[in-house]
Amino acid sequence: MSEIRTEYYRDGARKAQQDPVLQSALAAAQSRIGGATAKAYMDFPEGPGLRLLGHDIRMKAIENLDILLETLVENIQKKGGHVHFAKDGREATEYCKEIALSRGVRRVVKGKSMVTEEIGLNSALMEEGIKVTETDLGEFIVQLAGEHPSHIIAPAVHKTRREIGKLFSEKLGIPYTTDPPTLTQAARKALREEFLSADMGISGCNLACAETGHITTVSNEGNIRMATTLPKIHVVFMGMERIVARLEDHDILLRLLATGAAAQKMAVYVSYIGGPRTPGQQDGPEEFHLIILDNGRSRILADEEFREILCCIRCAACLNVCPVYGKIGGHAYGHTYCGPIGAVLTPLLVGVNRAKDLCMGETLCGACQAACPVNIDIPRMLLSLRAKLADGDPQWSVTRSSLMEKAFYMAWAGMVRDRRMYELALRAVSGAQKLLPRREGWVHRLPPPFHGWSIHRDMKPVSGKSFIRRWSETHGRRGEGGNEPR
Amino acid sequence: MNPGDNKEFIRKIRLALGYRSQGGRTFSGVFPDGRAEESVELIRRIKNRGPDERQWLLARLIEEAKALNMMVVPVKDAQSAAKQIAKVAQEKETEWGGPKRVIAWEHPLIERMKLNRELQKKGIPLDFTIPGPAGMGTDMVRERVIASYIGVTSAEFCVASSATLVMKTRPGQPRSVSLVPTIHMAVIEQDQIIADLRELYALLKWDPYHKEEGLTNCMTFITGPSKTGDIELILIHGAHGPKELYLYVITG
Repeated sequence: MSEIRTEYYRDGARKAQQDPVLQSALAAAQSRIGGATAKAYMDFPEGPGLRLLGHDIRMKAIENLDILLETLVENIQKKGGHVHFAKDGREATEYCKEIALSRGVRRVVKGKSMVTEEIGLNSALMEEGIKVTETDLGEFIVQLAGEHPSHIIAPAVHKTRREIGKLFSEKLGIPYTTDPPTLTQAARKALREEFLSADMGISGCNLACAETGHITTVSNEGNIRMATTLPKIHVVFMGMERIVARLEDHDILLRLLATGAAAQKMAVYVSYIGGPRTPGQQDGPEEFHLIILDNGRSRILADEEFREILCCIRCAACLNVCPVYGKIGGHAYGHTYCGPIGAVLTPLLVGVNRAKDLCMGETLCGACQAACPVNIDIPRMLLSLRAKLADGDPQWSVTRSSLMEKAFYMAWAGMVRDRRMYELALRAVSGAQKLLPRREGWVHRLPPPFHGWSIHRDMKPVSGKSFIRRWSETHGRRGEGGNEPR
Repeated sequence: MNPGDNKEFIRKIRLALGYRSQGGRTFSGVFPDGRAEESVELIRRIKNRGPDERQWLLARLIEEAKALNMMVVPVKDAQSAAKQIAKVAQEKETEWGGPKRVIAWEHPLIERMKLNRELQKKGIPLDFTIPGPAGMGTDMVRERVIASYIGVTSAEFCVASSATLVMKTRPGQPRSVSLVPTIHMAVIEQDQIIADLRELYALLKWDPYHKEEGLTNCMTFITGPSKTGDIELILIHGAHGPKELYLYVITG
């Protein structure tokens, strides 16, 4: 999804909440996966504290990323793999296109990869007349429907079996059915043909290992193994932060990933791939290309306030517990990354002002951090983004999102620091609110610019008397405190 | 792309981290191989496991595998494993039509099983992925693996705590045998069962044999049969990989 639609967050969120099918799908997904993950963290032999260890491993890797990438590249080149660095999405897609065109590639099969969504790889290849097939079942469904994923690991979570049945009968020519096993078998058959005829397989990379020089792929379906075993060429897209130093770091991180993603002890398939087929081997690709992508990540790395977000291992645990994602789904976020992780990452990647609603929309409840397998402090970074929006920030080219809001809060700050002004304002508001419509004694609607606060709730009327004044009336003027108004 | 661009890329990361150069940091300096000594000690313990502990690990593996719909079958010797495989081969039908055909790794353990004899009794042909000029080349492996409904492999290890098979790709042991056929059957000896990932990574890194060989260009962990939950979160086996996974453990 190279197209950025973060400006339509409010519209998307509203529509999602009016969609009863989506609402029940989201509720089911959250109640099934969210709870199971929380329980699974308790079942680690090391206890839930393993998350903190995971955080430390990731953070240390991020803080020495230059060294890790150099080591990885050296080790992969030793095994005959090619490595390309791409500073942005355009460069990355150009490399891939060049490889495809120079080798006459006509058909590409893809394993699920968020980073290729981020850079809009599919459309770039399709423009060259190359057939690109997503092979993760959820991605395949979403691609057939001409949509985008709405969840990082369950891309078609928003679609019902009826919709999928209808889609498959139209596009795959099978009799209409709502039976999930039959639908899965139909996709298995259609995609097997794609795997067997593809010239190129494309995958992402979960966590590369610098020490040994391998990328890793993780899946439950086996589609990534198919896509990286059968075609002659394997191209990997890796966000530059997706790496660890030592092989044994995977002991902790693979378990955290599987638990965070689906409350599993291990994913069904984990592959370490370090280069092309070697002499004597009888399968696997002849060419192996690794494309390491920056695309805005080094800018995040440079800011110590946000560096931590690069620890993310894309398990989607935060989506499965977020009260906001649970109501608005993934599409409303308007870009590849949705949910709490998207609410931080997307503004940093596409522009904070442009994606301001994403970080403003979250609740700061903290559920995401508690669910995160590497304990990323997402609420802290949401607050930092909001502070930038309130005050502006030249480093991130953020302009103040609302001058009026700023003016209002400055006036408010001045007022609450002056006792006399405060009392005066209280009396003025308590008088003025008599003009507002009421329901059962509560203020039913506020006037602009405050009307947003009363859309979904009534407000208690403001008392004309401050607490201090009331206290001194009921407890006598010379109480313990010395702050009473004179 | 020229190497200068790579340098520029790394330089940009360095600057972002606040370094002008490597700053005296080296890979092994920043990330010391901390577990070396304890790993060697751990491997010694693994290799000297007593029968009780090995029995316990097998029990643990069976229990973990059950939750994954992975069949773990203890057998007393290699020939019994072959008999069991032939029995299942007879019961199961092919998924994509065509005659029944089995493909197996060239591997000393599988050789010992005399699988060919058992399958012949049922009239099912068996191919071994023999490497080298006289054996199967890439095209033939591909063709046979696609035509086979059962793939038979061994494994390096099986991790009991998560029921994870660990397999390396070598000449004679192509990765597609555990992937493309509808049913995957693996055969290991009981002492290949290890407790957890910690033991696994210690062995992969510090056991002299594996240290020398490295991970190979493709090492795969397999934990249960292929599965998906992408349609309304309903669990279905056999999304793309094998629908069924059998593990025969030779207890001796």
